[in-house]
Amino acid sequence: MKRLLMCVLAVGLLPAVAALQFDGDPQRATALRPCDADRDRGRQAESRRCYQALANSAAPALVRAEAQWALGDLRAANELFRAAAAAAPRSVQPRLRWGRLYLAAHQYAEASALFAEAQQLDANSFELQVAAAELGAQRFQGGAALEELGKLAAQQPQRAEPLLITSQLQLDAGDTAAAIDSAARALTLLESQQRTPLAALSALAAAELAAGRDPQATVDKALRFNPRYGDIHATLARTEIMRRRYREAAQWLQRAVQVEPDNWQALEELGVNQLRLGDAEGARRALERAYAGDPFSATTVNTLRVLDTLPQYTVEQSSSPPLALQLHRKESAVLQPYVEQLARQAVASFSARYGWQPKQPIRIELYPNHDDFAVRTAGLPGIGLLGVTFGDVVAMDSPSGRRAGDFHWGSTLWHELAHVFTLSATDHRVPRWLSEGLSVFEEWRTGPTPGVAIEPNVMDAWSAGKLLPVARLDEGFMRPAYEGQVQVSYAQAGLVCLFIEQRYGIDKLVALLHQYQRDTTVPAAVQAALGLSSEAFDIEFAAFMKQRFAPWAADPKRLRVQLRAAQTALEKKDWEAATRAAREAVQVLPEYTGSASGYLLLAAARLGASDKPAAIEALLAWRAAGGWDPEGQRQLVQLLSEAGGEAEALPVRVALNLVDPLAIADHQPLGEQLLKTGKPLEARREYRALLALQTQDPAAAWLGLARAEAAAGNAALARRHALQSLEIAPHFRPAQQFLLELRGEPAP
Amino acid sequence: MCCLPAQAAVHVLVVSGLGGEAEYAKRFADQASHIAQASQSVAGDAQHVRLLSAEAATAAAVEQSLTSLAGTLRSGDQLIVVLIGHGSYDGSDYRYNLPGPDLTGARLVKLLDAFAPAVQQLVVVATSASGALAKPLQRAQRVVITATKSGAERNATRYASQWERALTTDAADRDKDGTVTAQEAHDFAERQVADAFKADAALATEHAQLVGDGASRIVVALLGAKALYAADAQLQVLRGEQQQVEARLDAARSRKDTMSEDAWYGALEPLLVEIAKLDQRIDAREAQLSTAGGAR
Repeated sequence: MKRLLMCVLAVGLLPAVAALQFDGDPQRATALRPCDADRDRGRQAESRRCYQALANSAAPALVRAEAQWALGDLRAANELFRAAAAAAPRSVQPRLRWGRLYLAAHQYAEASALFAEAQQLDANSFELQVAAAELGAQRFQGGAALEELGKLAAQQPQRAEPLLITSQLQLDAGDTAAAIDSAARALTLLESQQRTPLAALSALAAAELAAGRDPQATVDKALRFNPRYGDIHATLARTEIMRRRYREAAQWLQRAVQVEPDNWQALEELGVNQLRLGDAEGARRALERAYAGDPFSATTVNTLRVLDTLPQYTVEQSSSPPLALQLHRKESAVLQPYVEQLARQAVASFSARYGWQPKQPIRIELYPNHDDFAVRTAGLPGIGLLGVTFGDVVAMDSPSGRRAGDFHWGSTLWHELAHVFTLSATDHRVPRWLSEGLSVFEEWRTGPTPGVAIEPNVMDAWSAGKLLPVARLDEGFMRPAYEGQVQVSYAQAGLVCLFIEQRYGIDKLVALLHQYQRDTTVPAAVQAALGLSSEAFDIEFAAFMKQRFAPWAADPKRLRVQLRAAQTALEKKDWEAATRAAREAVQVLPEYTGSASGYLLLAAARLGASDKPAAIEALLAWRAAGGWDPEGQRQLVQLLSEAGGEAEALPVRVALNLVDPLAIADHQPLGEQLLKTGKPLEARREYRALLALQTQDPAAAWLGLARAEAAAGNAALARRHALQSLEIAPHFRPAQQFLLELRGEPAP
Repeated sequence: MCCLPAQAAVHVLVVSGLGGEAEYAKRFADQASHIAQASQSVAGDAQHVRLLSAEAATAAAVEQSLTSLAGTLRSGDQLIVVLIGHGSYDGSDYRYNLPGPDLTGARLVKLLDAFAPAVQQLVVVATSASGALAKPLQRAQRVVITATKSGAERNATRYASQWERALTTDAADRDKDGTVTAQEAHDFAERQVADAFKADAALATEHAQLVGDGASRIVVALLGAKALYAADAQLQVLRGEQQQVEARLDAARSRKDTMSEDAWYGALEPLLVEIAKLDQRIDAREAQLSTAGGAR
């Protein structure tokens, strides 16, 4: 399930790096206020003159720092804040404001360090607590932040900032009514205090949009206050991105830069969003403008760098179904047939299942460099993702992007393509948990690794009562409250879908998805599709879990005890004891198929006892349960071949390509077996892969290709490939014999 | 497709240096032994293959062997030197770790330069830091292969084990003519080493290099039947005919760039068919000799 942990939609990524800033610090110098007023009203020239005058004045460093920041010279502001902090080693304010600069620049580690330093000077500073809560919210630590914000709001009820941050967190959690209420209360406070209402109007408009209301009146109100306030459109775009509505987001971002052409953040977001829509040229145009205004943004710089690598990729278009495969030139010849075939199977399967046909090409991008994929996805390297779906664009790691065996690229693609259908069939209204749950369910039911695969830590969470009610399952993805909850939530969502299929039938599961063809809630959708309340559903699901996982529930510690016992016995070469413990481990949780699972220990134990048939049986059971580790599969192939079971080995050989297609040694024997079993077209793919991988035995690969073409009835191509084989190796006896046979000159 | 004159002699010196640890010592000794054994197929005479291993592999013994060979080999003869083990580089000279005093790179160059200029040399230095020797050893009529690209690549190398594989299996025989050339062996070993690092998801700590011309004309091993029955007159005639067709094939290859693809394969096919038919006769003769236990 490692794959599931990391395989997520882009939901929530952007708000984390581009959240609203609620900086209403009343302790900022009064000298700044006239400049702020001009800025807030959109009087750009006046505000720049005002800030410039302050920046050039003999005002304290802290004031000049604020002025430089407002002018956009972050480097000068940084130096001045540094000087202000050094000049006042016991003062909170320069550190707080300096930290806010870093917060605005998305450099959270530096902001956090400065806030921590300030906290040591005054742990009770209200402004500092607000800033820390905002940092927590931006770092996606919403659960803890909400509680803190409640206290801050109670402590200073006249301050709007805690309410504004709360509104955003409520919006993130999908509680739009509460978000509207918090934003409206903040707006009332700001208006009554005659402070700028723009942040509150943005928060309110976002909450209204998320609640399905038209935010135009709120937008108009903001623009009446400040006609150049592009941020309100950018905020609405982020709300659409939260809902994975990237086309709508693009429209808001376009409006943002129309009313405020130098809104570099909005331009950056527009560029990143155009990439989600598969529009590389549009992305580049926006990002280059953003870079011209803000060359310090890591997201802009990183994304432009990735765009610079695009000429290294090929884009293969195909129709019926429409697909566009973007693969790196160095591996496209090898990967393209496998990716295309699997994508075709997935599209056929999901079209039939979900009643939606792709209207434009589904774009599938594979990145051999994981950091390029990460930047393309989130603008920053170092994210723990394997694949992401943006509407009808799927981006993911290439098999070469990770060590062989680290992930199953075929399952990842299957998972992501399921998202394309569940998102599109509901115009992106499907909640996160259901889209992920259906993707996981499809991996298990129809994907290349059939079998319900569950990791022990998911069962631990279940035993500890940590699974969420279905109505709140999105929180497990959006606001994880404990380590590993996202992974647990993937599995729970998959199990919920599995339960619905088993208890109510697949039609009801699809009907539940289709409830989201209009705006609805989880309880309403469950009621309409399944005829029961979400609370009643939770009770039924709990009963299903108890029944399905009864062996685990009987003793939740038993699996690990038996796995350890099996491992210890294997080390002592006590094959029978290892066999007993491994078998019991399999019985306790047959869904556990990871690399330390009972199946593989059982196979090792039986091999140790020279009982190859039992080892084969264990490995076959492991595969049927969803096991896919390439070394385990290769071991199974070898054992089956030795036992004369080539027919059984063939699907295992084929399956290896969906994990490790770049392993050169697998293709030749697979090609041979495919030829022997009368599948020349599939054999041809294997020999072509060998040549694309620059096999060290190209003569044999050309001969294989020749034989495949001959078997497919392409005599002319067969002859050409035989000559290509002999061109490399003129004395290659099998190729000589094949050529002579083609010429009707059999061996004497 | 090699090109030594029939009377040319091939002499091989294989040295296994200090292992440091028992595991390395055994590995180096085994590799050297297998390479020496495989080299007999090209040297013909077992006396032409010298193996220096373990305590016998001193710098003095290496010097003595090379000095003696320098006095023996004539123009047109071929010298193959394979050095296995650990090497080091101090920024100015390479040192081959041997029991007793190390053999320095400078001394090795001097010893090899003492051979007649027309003696074709292949020097394979499969040790760590061996890249430091590539330039000093460079000379006409000498192909130099080092396991590393510079003296700075100091980790124990994997190259020798793949060179051994290249000579002892048919995996490196890319053109499947039953002979393994230095170029084929190097291409194979280099790729295998690179793939092994890739499979381990490890940073490659060695990058082999080949310097000098003619590596594809130096045969380092003969495989299977090719190594047998060299003295059979009938086979010699057939192989002579085969060489003539191969010469025509080489001539045709030189014109490939001027031809369309169809024309090229049209021209190639009759030559390949001719070779195939000759090979059938050679195979038949070898089978006959094998059944009869014929002269080798």
